[in-house]
Amino acid sequence: MKKVLLMFLVMVASVTLLGCNKEATEERTEITFWHMSPVGDVSYSSVKGLITDFNESQDLYFVKGVGFSFWDYWDKINVAVASRTAPSIGLSTIDDVVSRAESGVLLNISDLMDADTSGINTLDLNEFRQSQMDFATYEEDLYAMPFSATSRALFYNLDMFDELGLTEADAPTTWSELETIAKMFDIQEADGTVTRLGFDPTYGDTTYHGWLWQSGLDFFDEDLNPTLNTPEHLEVLNWILDFNKDFTRSQLTAFGEANAMLGVNPFTSERVAMIVSNDGLYQTIDTSGSDINYGVTSIPIPDENGIHVCWGSGFSLEMYDNGDNTDAEVAGAYSFYKYLLSEPVQIALGESLGWLMSHITAMEKYVEGDPILEALLAEVDYSMDKVYVPYAPAWHASDWQTYYTQILDGDLTPEAGLLAARNHYLQKQENYNTLHE
Amino acid sequence: MKKQSIGSIKQLKKTENRMGYLFASPWLIGIIVLGAFPILASFYISFTSYDMASAPVWVGLKNYIILFTNDDVFWKSLWNTIYHVLIAIPLGLIVGIILALLLNNKIRGMSIYRTLFYLPCVVSIVAMSLLWLWLFQPQFGIINEVLSPLYKLFNMEPILWYQSASTSKITLILMGLWTAGGSMVIYLAQMQDIPKSLYESAEVDGANWIQKTFSITLPLMTPSIFFNFIMGIIGGFQVFTIAYIMTNGGPAQSTYYYAYYMFDKMMSDQAMGMASAMAWILLVIVLIVTMFALRLNKKVVYLGEEG
Amino acid sequence: MEAAIKKPRLTKKQRTRVKNLILHLVLILCSVGFVFPFLWMLFTALKTPQELLLGFQQFFPSDPQWMNFKKAVTMIPFLLYLKNSLIIVILVVTGTLFSATTTAYAFAKLRWKGKEKWFIIMLATLMIPIQVILIPTYIMYSYIGWLSTRLPLIVPAFFGGGAAFYIFLLRQFFMGVPKELSESAIIDGASHIQIFFKIMLPLSKPALMTVGLFTFMATWNDYFGPLIFLSNPDHWTLAIGLRAFQTRFGGRYDLMMAASILIMLPTLIIFFFAQKSFIEGITFTGIKG
Repeated sequence: MKKVLLMFLVMVASVTLLGCNKEATEERTEITFWHMSPVGDVSYSSVKGLITDFNESQDLYFVKGVGFSFWDYWDKINVAVASRTAPSIGLSTIDDVVSRAESGVLLNISDLMDADTSGINTLDLNEFRQSQMDFATYEEDLYAMPFSATSRALFYNLDMFDELGLTEADAPTTWSELETIAKMFDIQEADGTVTRLGFDPTYGDTTYHGWLWQSGLDFFDEDLNPTLNTPEHLEVLNWILDFNKDFTRSQLTAFGEANAMLGVNPFTSERVAMIVSNDGLYQTIDTSGSDINYGVTSIPIPDENGIHVCWGSGFSLEMYDNGDNTDAEVAGAYSFYKYLLSEPVQIALGESLGWLMSHITAMEKYVEGDPILEALLAEVDYSMDKVYVPYAPAWHASDWQTYYTQILDGDLTPEAGLLAARNHYLQKQENYNTLHE
Repeated sequence: MKKQSIGSIKQLKKTENRMGYLFASPWLIGIIVLGAFPILASFYISFTSYDMASAPVWVGLKNYIILFTNDDVFWKSLWNTIYHVLIAIPLGLIVGIILALLLNNKIRGMSIYRTLFYLPCVVSIVAMSLLWLWLFQPQFGIINEVLSPLYKLFNMEPILWYQSASTSKITLILMGLWTAGGSMVIYLAQMQDIPKSLYESAEVDGANWIQKTFSITLPLMTPSIFFNFIMGIIGGFQVFTIAYIMTNGGPAQSTYYYAYYMFDKMMSDQAMGMASAMAWILLVIVLIVTMFALRLNKKVVYLGEEG
Repeated sequence: MEAAIKKPRLTKKQRTRVKNLILHLVLILCSVGFVFPFLWMLFTALKTPQELLLGFQQFFPSDPQWMNFKKAVTMIPFLLYLKNSLIIVILVVTGTLFSATTTAYAFAKLRWKGKEKWFIIMLATLMIPIQVILIPTYIMYSYIGWLSTRLPLIVPAFFGGGAAFYIFLLRQFFMGVPKELSESAIIDGASHIQIFFKIMLPLSKPALMTVGLFTFMATWNDYFGPLIFLSNPDHWTLAIGLRAFQTRFGGRYDLMMAASILIMLPTLIIFFFAQKSFIEGITFTGIKG
């Protein structure tokens, strides 16, 4: 008994000591930077290298970087921001910067820019897209800078094109061309099972709002009222539903779930000839060692009055206001902030993370010589981000998906589905206003 | 002599009272010092509008009123959860008990079997989700393949399992049975406390294994059966992960459980105040149900002594 | 006459053998369903990235990449994370066993004022989802200054934190211990502390092992607690390390499965030996083996 108690006390004591081990303080001001390249990730060492380079290039500030896996990053940053223990610099999503700026948790970048007389890595706003910076602007000041920029494009399998005598020049540019070419690739077994599809407007990284934008439509008007069930919206929805109408919905679902079950990406396993995806697919194909020949082009637009636009988002780079930041911390963080947004570092980040970064010239240099990346970068100029709706921040995701899947599965007619969705948003708007009177 | 006895009983009671507090002190200290603040804070937050960035703003009962009077999804998600609880608990209890009865036998390799049956509790849920797709996929899953002669025989359409709003909840419940290994272990532990002498004397009286099971094993297992029953209620009301992984709450929100809706309120809507209100409503519901269930304790559970 | 007496004995043995055979068959059939996910994990861990792309079209790995296990171990600081996991797990299991048994004894065997009320409160703590109290908890620890330490993950275990499940479980088991045992001990002049250590605990070995096993498993696999409360990556556990393999666009499933299997093994091994030690089981006949 006594022995057990003694062992127990020793264990507790040693761990308490271990547990309370605080960091040895550096002479330099410490800056914390949270990113998405955790230890074990392929990009970890290059990101760490960039941080080390900065630390060695000067002796006033010391940046400590911590990487979390993409899926865990958001829990971490949300809890940190909520408890005002956020890092000096972190990443977030650019489309809702305004809500954080309004809550006062972000530092004013415009003020920092105006006060910056150092001449080192000075932020040149011409190197960043106005559309992205608009999202980061609150009451005429910038509260974040765009860090990365995504786009969506049409990926098509050149080998499969070749089999049917098609070349890159035949890549579809309009919706009707898309339909015609897609049908050429469909393969259906005798028992009805679909084993290959040319294209489906619901596969890959497509979204209903992405198709709507090509006709100048959206879910909301300028006052953020839902405008879902107009005849024009219905037209787009019917186009999506009718695209593969030769197959029953259950056959298409089975094909889709076969992909999930096989654990494959339908494009890389060559079960689909064309697919809309973001620049991430380039990464997937690259790291998987797959050897398919493929091309990338703009997503086809409606035959009449079509607008060349795609959904592009991006991460924002933000400096957090915990209410107790010292001047030295802010100065040091801003110094590292500019470093991260400078041309050479943006190129290096693109190479290590495989993301398309936000710095325009840097990316032009980065993609040079790679036609796929060049095409993906070109689409960024036509990309638009989704509007932030305070009463339904996930309007395109959890709110919409339930109606969308019911319409696609045929459980709701398109008209009924759009009407129900609109009523849902209206109810959310009503409740939000009740709470914010 | 009599005076001493009375004094002793009072003393004993006082000592017992003190001892009770002493033994419970670790937990009591824990809940008062470390537990009270977060719990009370979340109660307070349920009366505010809190987006997790700005400070919470007091709104009084508005969150609760909105949930009860102007939120269709609230009632749907609540019904989904109640449906789940009503079916999953009896089914889970039965399967767990059957597994434990099966695995309490002393045959060769039983240790390996027990470990195999426990595997799903340890394996990653990604791997489990693939198994379930492989089994339950309506068009080419194993279960419908095996059942196709039956479908033909009765001239009925194959069951659509998780693809149909009418069968999706039951499908998820069936999937959940794979982790019955957890409750099985608890039953097995309880069964070791059953004195072998009882079985021996029953044997002498000529009882077969059915009689032994129903007259000895099951009655003496009631403390752990009751435990799994209560925990089943508490856990069942918080069902979420399996829908999140397998069906995204569909089809047609048929598997959109209460806890899933609460999660979305927090993560997607950034409405922490409303989510907290949902949590406290659930707490009250589960508490009431549990307290009813606890009343059964005295009637249903066979103990060596009073409760 | 002798033949008539001998016959029943043979038949009984045969009956037992048949029963056992049926049992084996049933168990094997059921096991297939239970083992399948693990097999899929194993095969995935042994495939090449190109094979992964093919999914089920290639169920078995053609060229088992056993080095994936080595790669998984070297890509993350496996030994550091292992050490961190062990520190936390050992302390939490100890703390939980300590605080849960004492509290369960109080609920099961002792009469004290407010016991029923506190029991309900204890159950109620199981009914609050962690996400709703996460931010206030975090703020509380930030205020105390424990955020840069492991304390938020360890200290609560010694005070019954997260142990309501086990307290309830142990209470049920303790209540099954005959009253007469403790009563006679009291008459003999034993204190409750002595009863606790000399009677209750020794008689509850299966329950204690169950609690130990479950606590081990829950803590070993817990990535959320360490993720939120451990700000220093040098304190990270294996469960967090595993998340690194799951990148934004799918990631290296082969390495992830290899790492998952390695991390899963301790639990399986402990389970195997634990249940072997405390589950004797009974035979169909109930008497001899």
